[in-house]
Amino acid sequence: MFEVERIRVSYGAAPAISEVSIRVGAGELACVVGPNGAGKTTLINAIAGLHPIEAGALRMDGRDLSRLPRHAFCGEGIAIVPEGRRLFAGMSVRENLELGSYRRAARARRGASLERVCDVFPVLRERLEQAAGTLSGGEQQMLAIGRALMAQPRLLLLDEPSLGLAPAVVLAVFDVIREINASGVAVLLVEQNAALALELAARAYVLEEGRIAAEGRPAELLARPHIRRAYLG
Amino acid sequence: MALPSLTLLGQSLLSGLFIGALYGLLGLGLSLSWGMLRQINLAHFALAFLGAYLTYQLAGAGINPLATLAVIVPCFFALGALMHWLLARFSVSALVTFGLTAIIEALIQWIWTADFRRMESGYSDVKFRVGALYVALPELLTLAMALALSLAVWAWLRHTYTGKAMRAIAEDAPIAAAFGVDVHGLSLLLSGLCAAFAGVAGLSLALSYTLAPGQIYAWLGVVFAAVMLGGLGNPLGPLVAGIVIGVSEALTMAFTAPAWAPLVSFSLLIVVLLARPGRI
Ligand SMILES: Nc1ncnc2c1ncn2[C@@H]1O[C@H](COP(=O)(O)OP(=O)(O)OP(=O)(O)O)[C@@H](O)[C@H]1O
Ligand SMILES: [Mg+2]
Repeated sequence: MFEVERIRVSYGAAPAISEVSIRVGAGELACVVGPNGAGKTTLINAIAGLHPIEAGALRMDGRDLSRLPRHAFCGEGIAIVPEGRRLFAGMSVRENLELGSYRRAARARRGASLERVCDVFPVLRERLEQAAGTLSGGEQQMLAIGRALMAQPRLLLLDEPSLGLAPAVVLAVFDVIREINASGVAVLLVEQNAALALELAARAYVLEEGRIAAEGRPAELLARPHIRRAYLG
Repeated sequence: MALPSLTLLGQSLLSGLFIGALYGLLGLGLSLSWGMLRQINLAHFALAFLGAYLTYQLAGAGINPLATLAVIVPCFFALGALMHWLLARFSVSALVTFGLTAIIEALIQWIWTADFRRMESGYSDVKFRVGALYVALPELLTLAMALALSLAVWAWLRHTYTGKAMRAIAEDAPIAAAFGVDVHGLSLLLSGLCAAFAGVAGLSLALSYTLAPGQIYAWLGVVFAAVMLGGLGNPLGPLVAGIVIGVSEALTMAFTAPAWAPLVSFSLLIVVLLARPGRI
């Protein structure tokens, strides 16, 4: 369904990622693991249209997205839960969710989406009129996921959703990710917590220094001793 | 120190309110483009004066001053959008807008000379009596326009999809774009609106003041103070802060000497900046 074909993205002169190819099948959950600074955020942001790509292509059902304006990526069914959440902190929880469904097609189903998000995260229903910046870390992560769900994505991008959360909250968030995936949404997950991510994923990529160092089914990757050592300690 | 009479006090409170409304009207577009698009448009004042001179010219041809808005608002909207497009296209510094101020000033001077100009219209001399106090129609119009525009922008930002998208752009433009907000298009829209507001402020200037090209700079300090006091990007901020400044100035003049009035806005600004540092 979705393919990244040998893309390169740079900040200034040096490329942060290059020759990176990955694919996520319809309804599949894929993950990208790798050390700090490997380029995971760069990759996921490029897929969401936040960074222009210099070479290569992004394909959704075979169509190339790389020439689209930034605000058109959402319309192709891609929604992001960015690193650090990046909520609209001064706006209310409800407004953040409404912005998730900003594009016209999602707007029509806003009411139903809002209900669904509040069913998944009941705590958000109680806080709808509160400013997003006043939520706790876990609640903010739920809101970031909720905002992305409001867009009715076919491909959900998640960048380190467990970062800074208490262990119990991490497990709750991962349960939700599993449910979202089970409902038919393809997921691309970037995680520091490789053990959790590899357990969930059907396909995994190891990104090192801006390149794909290994890929395959998680069980296969974990069978390689050096990967096991590097990512599971 | 002689205490002013109650009537005099009332009259100066009123004049403070009205000049505050003009500060607010002049500051509205400045605050929105600064707070939401991070663009400090120094040419805002020059645009307002250009609007004032155009109103003066059109009124001279026999057109009702309020009706001139039908021409000025769309033209200024287009001008503001064009300016934003050029600034974004060539990603130049905001200082360019200062150069633009000088260009507009020269243009005004070339067309209308440096002589003082005073618009003659049916409005200028209309006054209402409220008890012992007088209210001039141009000032009332200024207050009405400032209130109407500030409230309209507030309602737009709070209650409409595009308005909320605008606020999202102010907080995190790339993420707003990732959710389908056309950041470039909405920025053009807001820049156009800000310039149109400058045009409306120009009408107020022409209604109440004698115009001269050098006056462009006279409003800069106090309006910037109102914008910063009111909170950048807050649509009601400039009007509220403008009125606070205007009334404080008027009271200062009534109780001390007029020479102290210009100090008021900056003293207020400094006090507020000290009271809530890092939050203008
Ligand atoms: N805005 C930027 N400007 C310049 N260089 C950047 C920028 N963002 C990231 N980089 C560099 O690009 C490389 C990849 O960064 P990226 O944030 O994508 O890594 P990451 O795998 O997400 O790391 P982490 O695990 O810390 O989140 C790093 O070397 C980083 O220093
Ligand atoms: Mg990262």
